[in-house]
Amino acid sequence: MTRPTAVAPEVATPTHGTVFDIGYQRYDGPREGRSRSRIAVFRDGVRAALGLGRGGKAKILPWTFIGAMVAVGFILALVAGFVLRVAGPEAVDEIPSHSDFYGIASMFYLVFAAVVAPELLCPDRRNRVIDLYLVRPLTGSDYIAARWLAFLAVALFAAWLPQFVLMAGRVMGNPDPVSYLRETWLDAPRILGAGGAIAVFTTTLALLVAAFSSRRAYAAVFLVGLFVITAPFTMGLSQEIDGAAGQWISMFTLSNIPVHVNDLIFGQVSAMTAEAPARELPAEVLVGWFLAWVIVPGGILWARYRRLTP
Amino acid sequence: MSPDAEVPATASPVAVDSLVVVEPPVASEPLVVARNLEKRYGNVVALGGVSFGIYDGITGILGENGAGKSTAIKIFLGLLEPTSGSAIVMGEDASESPAVRARLGYMPEHDCLPTGVSAAEFLTHMAEASGLPPSRARTRAADTLRHVGLFEERYRSIGGYSTGMKQRVKLAQALVHDPRMVFLDEPTAGLDPAGREEMLDLVRKTHREFGISILCSSHLMSDVERTCDRIIVLQGGALVQAGEVSDLTGETESVFLEVDAAHESLIGELERRGVAARIEGGAIHIENADAAVYDHIRDALVDSGAPLRRMAPRRRALAELFAREGDEAPPGGPR
Repeated sequence: MTRPTAVAPEVATPTHGTVFDIGYQRYDGPREGRSRSRIAVFRDGVRAALGLGRGGKAKILPWTFIGAMVAVGFILALVAGFVLRVAGPEAVDEIPSHSDFYGIASMFYLVFAAVVAPELLCPDRRNRVIDLYLVRPLTGSDYIAARWLAFLAVALFAAWLPQFVLMAGRVMGNPDPVSYLRETWLDAPRILGAGGAIAVFTTTLALLVAAFSSRRAYAAVFLVGLFVITAPFTMGLSQEIDGAAGQWISMFTLSNIPVHVNDLIFGQVSAMTAEAPARELPAEVLVGWFLAWVIVPGGILWARYRRLTP
Repeated sequence: MSPDAEVPATASPVAVDSLVVVEPPVASEPLVVARNLEKRYGNVVALGGVSFGIYDGITGILGENGAGKSTAIKIFLGLLEPTSGSAIVMGEDASESPAVRARLGYMPEHDCLPTGVSAAEFLTHMAEASGLPPSRARTRAADTLRHVGLFEERYRSIGGYSTGMKQRVKLAQALVHDPRMVFLDEPTAGLDPAGREEMLDLVRKTHREFGISILCSSHLMSDVERTCDRIIVLQGGALVQAGEVSDLTGETESVFLEVDAAHESLIGELERRGVAARIEGGAIHIENADAAVYDHIRDALVDSGAPLRRMAPRRRALAELFAREGDEAPPGGPR
């Protein structure tokens, strides 16, 4: 009897792959709770403000304004470089300074805040997405704090970027950049401080107005009116009325409030506040007034959203 | 009906310490407990001190517009503060517990979707807002959109979606973080019959295949009958009925007959056998038709010689259910 020969079974060689649809699965992975929720709302706020993850139209406004402000910084840098090359380092006091920047670009900046900031709050209230947030591990306070920080981050980016473009221009335009940097290194923290002041101020006021309207356009128009149209009125009135009354009326030029702080930080009066009687007030008054315009609107904003959760 | 009012004998709820409990098929702890829950807006009573418990499964809250369904759901979720009483969800007050809210899902009745983003982007964000890490959130968003049938359309802007697709996105965002329980407020609102059926299928599948408990509000009796295991009926902020759907729908069965002639003769034969009948809209209606009544109908048809065209059980409309409890049914109520 012969032993049967073992024959290896034929194995079919697969000629194509197979896709298995495993469908919906239960989730047993990590849940990071409230901190992850806050980060998500913050990140979504940044993306909404800059139009990221949205259609092309959503990107037009924010990037046009940021581009315009960078363009102002770039032009000032070119002018600085040209003057320094032609007139030499002794002309450093004649070239456009960092203190001047907000005086020149502030209108772009304020309109940018007025137009973009409502995007973070108005659609959520108009489309009632806010209810979906509040049934998740978030409170109304978490939501508004995350949105405030999100626009502050965007506002800081928009405030600092052109200033650093200008700084680069001034450094590169100088025949001795190392000596120039050694002499003016304090401009860097000043830029951070002054940019921070204008960003905090515009973020708080813009979001406060947006919190009371579900229509982005209404909020934007109101804010532009507040920042732009009040300025000639209060400036004209303050110049007609002498003394302390004129100075206090001048304090109500909302667009000048952070620029006074900017002037104090850089130690020089910018073109925007050169004619404002309020510049003669003590530094403590100017800083206190600025803080009041941040803290009070910020408190109202917080109170409005805190009430959304019982 | 007061919270302590007697529940009809045909329904399965039992009163325990003034709490109307809808008994589940298997004994378990209630996921949601409402105790003397009251919500007032000035002089308007949205919820008038109702008490009930909700267990694992699909529970329907049924009621006309303004009955207090959405108010109850919003209180359970912590979106509204009750005027008095308490609402406990999974052992805690959801308004004070982010941890509990992380395990709940909510599909509102109203529009709640952004228009300028894709469904995939929106769901990923909602998953992260529920506490899921970003990489897991993206996967969950894709899985959930597949579950609701929008996988192929996930990168389109939500603003271009149809009403039915938007309802599916609303359901998906309620499920994307794999909640323990979801609250669906009128999930079939605005849908055509085919869309309604698909949505109800999704709701049933969500519980039966994935074990997610559901509280689903509706003003349509048929939706609740086909989808829910148990039912809570509210009217004017008061608890009207609570129980197993099968009990309530059995109670509401009646039968109607369409005959081509001899209507009076047929009614006479029925009354002779003790069966009350009335003519309405050309058809003969008989209430509370049990097996014995069907035998009498058969005999009456033979004896009267009435030519039968059609005979079918008829579900009592929601408004009629309310009327039977002694309240005036609101005009224009759903049938």
